[in-house]
Amino acid sequence: MRALLQLTVANVRSFTRDRAALFWTLAFPLIFVILFGSIFSGGNNQRSIGFADLDASPASAQLKAAFGSIDGVKLVDGTEDDLVAKMKKGEVSSVIVVPKGYGETIAAKSAPAAVKVFTDPSQAAADGATRQLVGYVLSAVNQAATGQPPAVEPAFQTIQTNDLSFISYLVPSILGMSLMQVGVFAAIPLVADRQKLILKRLQATPLRRWQLVGSNVLMRLLIALLQTAIIVGVGSAFYHVQISGSWLLIGALILLGSLSFIALGYVIASFASTEDAANGMTSAVQFPLMFLSGTFFPIDAMPDALKTVARALPLTYLGDGLRQVMVEGTPFAPLWLCFAFLAVWLVVCFGIAARFFRWQ
Amino acid sequence: MTTVATAAEPVIRVTGLQKRYGGTHAVDGVSFEVRPGTVFGLLGPNGAGKTTTVEVLEGLRTPDAGEVRVLGVDAVHHPDDLKPRIGVSLQTAALYPKLTVVEVIDLFRSFYQGGRPTAELVELMDLGEKRTTRTQDLSGGQRQRLSVALALVNDPELVFLDEPTTGMDPAARRALWEVVLNLKAEGRTVLLTTHYMEEAEVLCDRIAIMDHGRILEEGTVDELVSRRFKERAVRFDATAGLAGERLAAMPGVTSVKREDDEVLLYTRDVPATIGAVLDAFEALGREPANLGVRRATLEDVFLDLTGRALRD
Repeated sequence: MRALLQLTVANVRSFTRDRAALFWTLAFPLIFVILFGSIFSGGNNQRSIGFADLDASPASAQLKAAFGSIDGVKLVDGTEDDLVAKMKKGEVSSVIVVPKGYGETIAAKSAPAAVKVFTDPSQAAADGATRQLVGYVLSAVNQAATGQPPAVEPAFQTIQTNDLSFISYLVPSILGMSLMQVGVFAAIPLVADRQKLILKRLQATPLRRWQLVGSNVLMRLLIALLQTAIIVGVGSAFYHVQISGSWLLIGALILLGSLSFIALGYVIASFASTEDAANGMTSAVQFPLMFLSGTFFPIDAMPDALKTVARALPLTYLGDGLRQVMVEGTPFAPLWLCFAFLAVWLVVCFGIAARFFRWQ
Repeated sequence: MTTVATAAEPVIRVTGLQKRYGGTHAVDGVSFEVRPGTVFGLLGPNGAGKTTTVEVLEGLRTPDAGEVRVLGVDAVHHPDDLKPRIGVSLQTAALYPKLTVVEVIDLFRSFYQGGRPTAELVELMDLGEKRTTRTQDLSGGQRQRLSVALALVNDPELVFLDEPTTGMDPAARRALWEVVLNLKAEGRTVLLTTHYMEEAEVLCDRIAIMDHGRILEEGTVDELVSRRFKERAVRFDATAGLAGERLAAMPGVTSVKREDDEVLLYTRDVPATIGAVLDAFEALGREPANLGVRRATLEDVFLDLTGRALRD
């Protein structure tokens, strides 16, 4: 037991003193979370609209209140020139100008009062949304002014077909990807230790092989735990990703997934004879897994040929399972299948490594 | 099952050991015994089969044939009974590159019950200044010293040192000799491989000379030398104009050896041979360079056995 713990400590020390390993296993996934998090969750449901009230009458204040009461709209005050300048810089998506004399014109009821609206046709979605918004608010104002009740009113209800925001999709996916990397990267120090004859030297001590493998697995699981904490922590603290679901199930999936990929790392170490070969083989394994397993976009969006490939990859099932148990994502495969696939993968890889792994 | 080696029983007994790699016989029928409390040397050039032999004894390799008993244990079939009781330093120091000297020693200590304290080993192998240095930053000699320290963590009865002084400067080499002689003084047994003659002569009670996977001859240094060379040798730098036949015909000369630029005349009658050499040089109108007399050494034994010099 003492030997197992000391060896685990030695592994952790070697790991934390290796900058490349630290980068790939801890910084790399974090960069993904932060990068995608800032791109896809940065205030995309709040729209800023410039509002220049040149009239400053009760009527214009009422109009401003009508715009301000709409969900997802943030009004920015200023002069017309000011706001147009801000719009050109992209700080507001459109500008509404209430001209001087607006209140009087409405009160006179002789001619329609004009409200100037600047929109940007190059931003098609924002342009259309602003036109609709302005139309909707002004028709309500018109009705109020004429005292006629509306004949038809829309009753908006929402049905979400894509139930996850992209960042909620990404956090479990990137967690799955990092667990895959921690596991697969087990190959490199293992081959290095064999090449440096450390494994051979350990064989001349009473240390048992299960202790050697056990310490290795224990160290990888510790890293997996640390990664989970970092990725989930950053996702929920900065990008409001809600983790629902049972931690027991999440933990079981993380454990099984990590073990499966550590076993894959041992398979690589069984066939790589030098550290360089291990590096190459690790890349050759990790990049296809990363991009073909639905990490960055849903598998359903892939062409059929790639879908078939994705169905055969273990990371597909780890990522899918994690999305199901962490953020209630749409299942690609039933949860039991995710567990079963990873378990089979673990057994097969373990068998191959047990058969072909060489200690010296 | 562990059997305690009794005084009568040798610490190591190897019989008919064979190991092939592909078509080559790395070890081709090696047999020898090592008595308790002695230093035994396997001497030979690189590729002679020394390391393979030692690694079979350490339980690291399975031989193709032969019987190996170490400390009374069958090292081939029950290596796990052996490992707690032996200390091993491989030919190439195998060290975790990113751990410090003390961390590596502490790690290896954790593999055994009991053993020697880390501080004592650091002191013994003169690594005090490098305690907190990562092993990747050590010099070749320091790595070798750490490797020997690791071989001693469990206070072993039997220590295997494979080329322990390779890469060491002369001072470090002598310090390691001191360590080995102390191990012997403490009653431990040491099996050492080397290709340094001087090292074998200083340290080893008995020596087996190996080449091409076989033991050519075995005994104490004196036995090995006197068995072959009753004579002493007259040496001088080779020169043109002195044919081999003429040298062999000189009085007292039993055999002639040429080694690099050196001529060795083994002789029963040193003064007569020297006189003949001086006469021959006078006839050529020259003086012999570096003329001298020496007793035969292990080097001569090896040269005589293999026809090659033992150099690295």
